Parts: sequence; C-alpha cells; structure tokens
Amino acid sequence: MNIVYVGVGDYATSKNPKEIVKTLALGSCVAIVVLDPVNRAIGLLHVALPESSINKKRALEKPGMFADTGINTLLEEMKKAGYQMGGRLIVKLAGGASIMDPNNTFNIGKRNILAVRKCLWHYKLGAVSEDIGGTISRSVSVNLKTGKVILSSPGRGDWEL
Amino acid sequence: MSILETISKRIEEKPIPSMVAFQILKVIEDENHSLKQVVKLVENDASLTTEVLKVANSATYFRGMPVNTVNRAVLVLGEMMVVGVAICASSSIVFNSALDGYESPEGDMWEHSLRAAIASREIAKYTKNKVPPGLGFTSGLLHDIGKSVLSEFLIGSTQSLTEACEERKVHDFLEAERQAVGTDHAEVGCQLAEKWGLPIALKTAIKYHHAPSKADAKHIALAYTVHLGDLIAMLGGSGTGVDALAYKIDNNYENYIKIDKDEFSVILLKVQEDFEIIKESLLT
Repeated sequence: MNIVYVGVGDYATSKNPKEIVKTLALGSCVAIVVLDPVNRAIGLLHVALPESSINKKRALEKPGMFADTGINTLLEEMKKAGYQMGGRLIVKLAGGASIMDPNNTFNIGKRNILAVRKCLWHYKLGAVSEDIGGTISRSVSVNLKTGKVILSSPGRGDWEL
Repeated sequence: MSILETISKRIEEKPIPSMVAFQILKVIEDENHSLKQVVKLVENDASLTTEVLKVANSATYFRGMPVNTVNRAVLVLGEMMVVGVAICASSSIVFNSALDGYESPEGDMWEHSLRAAIASREIAKYTKNKVPPGLGFTSGLLHDIGKSVLSEFLIGSTQSLTEACEERKVHDFLEAERQAVGTDHAEVGCQLAEKWGLPIALKTAIKYHHAPSKADAKHIALAYTVHLGDLIAMLGGSGTGVDALAYKIDNNYENYIKIDKDEFSVILLKVQEDFEIIKESLLT
C-alpha cells in the first residue's frame, strides 16, 4: 500500500484503492474526512485554525490551514476530480483536543470544531461520526480499499471512527 | 540501588552537549550582544561551521548566491536558527532519541522542543515585564530535557500513568510520574541542567514549566512564558507521546502575560510556519 501523508494545513484527495491517506498528531487541529461512496473516493483535510481572517495572505498561500478556506478548497478539489457532491457525501471528524483548561481560555480545539461544523453546514453537510475533544492527540488513517477511517493515539492503540 | 539513585546515576552519565551551543545561548540571552560574538563562537567550532554553512546553502535559504562565510550564514539564518543547528548537532542523544517510556518515537522530542522554543519566543513578546525573546526560545528548547533521563524508568507503567490521567486520579501527567518513580521530568530536567552548568533562569524555567506559580519572583514571568509555549506546541499536535495534552494550564499567566485569543491563534500559525522552515533546512 502506498501511504500519502497530509501535513498541517494540507489536504489530499484520492480514489486509488492501493492508497492509505494519513494525517498525524492532530492536537487541537481537526481532520475532516470526506468519503464519496459512489466513486470510492476520499478527501482529507487537516485544519489548524478556525478563521482565515487572522491572516488572509496565509489563507491564499495555504487555504487548508483554516476551517473556512480549507473546507471550501477541499470540496472544490473533489468536485474538479469528478467526485459526487452534496448530501450523499459521508463526513467524519477527528481531533479538536484541548489541554486541561478550567477557564477555556485556550480552547482552540473547541473553536476549530465549531468552525468546521459551521462551514460544513454551509454545504449542507454534517458529520456522521466524530471523535473529538478531550485531552488526547489523535492520528487519522483512511484506507481507500476498505473505506475504513482508523484513529490512533500514543498509549491508546487504534480504533475505528 | 533505589530508583531515585539510579536516576541520579543516569543524570551523571548523560554526556554534556557541546559547550559552543551553550555559549551561544548565553550570548544571545543578553539583549545587548552583537552579531560578531555569535559569529566568533561558530567560527571557533569547525563542525558547527560546516553545519551552519550547509543549512544556509540549503534549498530553503538559498537566494541565488552561495553563502561562504559564517558571518553571512548567521545573517541569513538568524541567531535562533544557529542555536537550533548547534543544539541539534551537538546533543542528538538528548533530542533525537526515542522516548520509549512516553511511547514517543525518535524525532518527536526534537520537534516538540523546537516548537515550544518558537512558541515561547513569541509568548515572551507579550510578557508585561519584557522577558527577552531569546531567553524564551532557549528555555523552550530545553524545558523537557528531563524526559531523556526519565523515559527508561517509565517503561512498563506508561499505560497505568495514562489511565490515571484520564480517570482524573492525578492532577496531571507530572503527578503520575511522581507516583510511579518518585520524581518527575521537570525536576530531573533541572538536575540535568545543574550538571550541564546552565544559568539559574534556565534551571528555573525547566523546573517550573508545569508549575510556574512556584518560580521565584525574578523568573516567574519566564516560567509562565515556557508554560504557555509548551502548551502551544502540544495544542499544535506536537507532544512527546502519551503525555501530550495531559497537563493543566495555570490561568494566573494573565498576571504576567497579556495575550488574547486572536494573538494566540497568530502564534499557533507562526510556530507552524517557522517550524516548517527550520525542519526543511535541517533535512535538506
């Protein structure tokens, strides 16, 4: 199997059944996995921050860094590649972790999740399954052949999303 | 021999990184230092000169003209990058080894330390009593050195430590470490720093990066700076294995650091950008 790694602020689309698409150590970042069951294709995006308004120049260079520009870019890429669009796509979310913060001051994970949901809603999409929040850093692996989305975290093994 | 005695023995056995790296750190901590001082230290160390020139001529930094002198290389790279190269080249046993007790593969410690260094440098700019950004960077870089010693003593109990944190039986992973082996990576890091002859500011930042309120008045702002820098690195996804995110934020940082949510987001982005540049340069 060929492994495609998606870095922070990056995205990938694929319909190669010999590929596994991975993104590592999400922390407060969120991985958005979009599955197209008809074409057996997927898109995976690793966003770090909720809104591109904090650095519009950076958003132009690397739209995947932000939830608002990233989701738009990923879906456009999938559309260009001929994958189906609209409500038949299956969306799964992982990540958005936080540190133990009694005052929620640094709760960037929660803000990321909220921004991702809002952007997905704009496209009339919602996640069918999520593994979000908490204080664990997750990695995501999508197997194109099986369509399975597997999560892992140090000391906690693997589990399916 | 008890666990604590064995840990002390391991601290004694750890090789001291090249002195030039620490000399550079010491020089740049002084806000009034000159570029010449850094250049001279690099020039006096043949292997560091080679490394610095190699990075300055790497694809990330190459600007059409080969860099042939250390002076030019330091200008191109910036002092922080030079420190990064020096530490990386001289203390790989501390930064590049896997931390099995934390289930952290080779390279994670280096990445987390570098990200925490960049984040602490940026946080320092928001401190009320002006912690020098260079000192923030250095402290961030070294804050977790204790893990390189403690890791082997946690092997076998990693799972129970993780569970203790998740079930909220302990305050944080540091307390779980203390319950398991009688000490923690912050304390061990401070002892290692003592052995390396590091200045008091660095020793304090290392010792109290998870409990900054316990630092003395002179260094408390620095301890909070590294506390936040470390958390930012972890939130960005870069930890050192099982303990990533298993720590509590001390919200009294507000007494020493004035930062809002947007500024915090800007720092997260900056850490990612700077880290990518440094990583690319070191791997080219």
